[in-house]
Amino acid sequence: MPPETDRILSDFVDAWNAGRRPEVDTYLARAPDAERDALAGEIATFLAFAPAPDFDDAALEAIRAEPAVLAAAAALETPGGLWPQLLPRLRERAALTTGDLAARLVSTLGLGADREPKTRGYLEQLEAGALEPRGLSARLLDGLARVLEVPRSALEGAGAVAAPPALFRAEGAAADTLRADLDVIADALAAPAGSEWDDVDELFRGGAR
Amino acid sequence: MADEPEHLLLRRYHAARAQGNDPEAARVWERLTLRNFDRIKGLCATFRFAGGTGLPPHETGSAATEAYLRAIAMGAAFEAREIGQYRAALVRVVWNTCHDYGRKELRHEKRSRSLDTTWDDDGEGGPYDAALARYDEHLRAKAEEAAEAEAGREEAERLARWGIAQVRNDNYRTVLELTWFEKLDADAIAGRLGISVDNVYQRRRRGMIELEKILRAPRD
Repeated sequence: MPPETDRILSDFVDAWNAGRRPEVDTYLARAPDAERDALAGEIATFLAFAPAPDFDDAALEAIRAEPAVLAAAAALETPGGLWPQLLPRLRERAALTTGDLAARLVSTLGLGADREPKTRGYLEQLEAGALEPRGLSARLLDGLARVLEVPRSALEGAGAVAAPPALFRAEGAAADTLRADLDVIADALAAPAGSEWDDVDELFRGGAR
Repeated sequence: MADEPEHLLLRRYHAARAQGNDPEAARVWERLTLRNFDRIKGLCATFRFAGGTGLPPHETGSAATEAYLRAIAMGAAFEAREIGQYRAALVRVVWNTCHDYGRKELRHEKRSRSLDTTWDDDGEGGPYDAALARYDEHLRAKAEEAAEAEAGREEAERLARWGIAQVRNDNYRTVLELTWFEKLDADAIAGRLGISVDNVYQRRRRGMIELEKILRAPRD
């Protein structure tokens, strides 16, 4: 008779392939203490390359209701992308308040300490989804990755899944009426920044550089 | 109604990106990653540091959530076109995330425990990187053949098929193939091969152990 662990692994594999959404911990708990880590490794190998099960509608609905999945789906519809979900998690995991993160960031990037309050304000906007992620500079992403101790790749896609800005679409008379107003707005946006634009603005709103 | 197969979702993701339709690419990527939520969650639960310690149970859920969000973010610029490579990238994201959580534990517990020694502490590598590199070489060598085989469901499992084909023991390999590619359960495999279910359990596990060695072997 084969060891019980052989059977547990097979049970997991069969449950996975059948789309029954097996909980790994339940199966690991069935294994003898001495074999639990080995079984975890074997389940990991299977999971790394196993085909996705053919989930039925109920299973897919249950997955869609998972908090992480809901958060990611919401991110696709908001201009802030994944930042409001991801940044607070990474910051809290690093045991940093927003103020701490601002202070570390300013120091890491070689900015003056007087830049902390403004940096903190921008970080709060980023966490609230109130900042356009496309404006974040490469230098800022480098700094955040270093302070939060994560690969930069974990951050750079966070804004890319954001909902695109609204586009102007109108035809005929409506378009003629609005066109002049839009020209004025476009000119204003293209005008040189005021004197208060500084290196912190450049970090958070200057875009990829 | 069942969702599209993974390899078709990945293909649609690349098609949307090629057309510059980023919102559609993001939506398709989210559907693909949703199909892999359980894989991400399970991989977090099986994660072990070199000393055999896993994440604390209260951290596993948080790690899975973060890994899922990071997997979604990966859709901003994913280049690989095979679903096996996508899965390997998911493993990398999960391991990076769990490793980051381990760092937090170290910070909190103030003890100097060595983390997974097979892991590049500052890098972004994953446990199957060497296998992926060898697989890439294999792909290049078989470029023409691979181009011909571009279509078809079989392509979805090519990386797994490549690994399983290297399992030397015929009995183990056959059971793995029936498990992976035909999704047969233990009873059905026993019936198909005319062996006992206990024998299937044994061959499956031993085959899995051999596959793990193949996929984790360092590059020559």
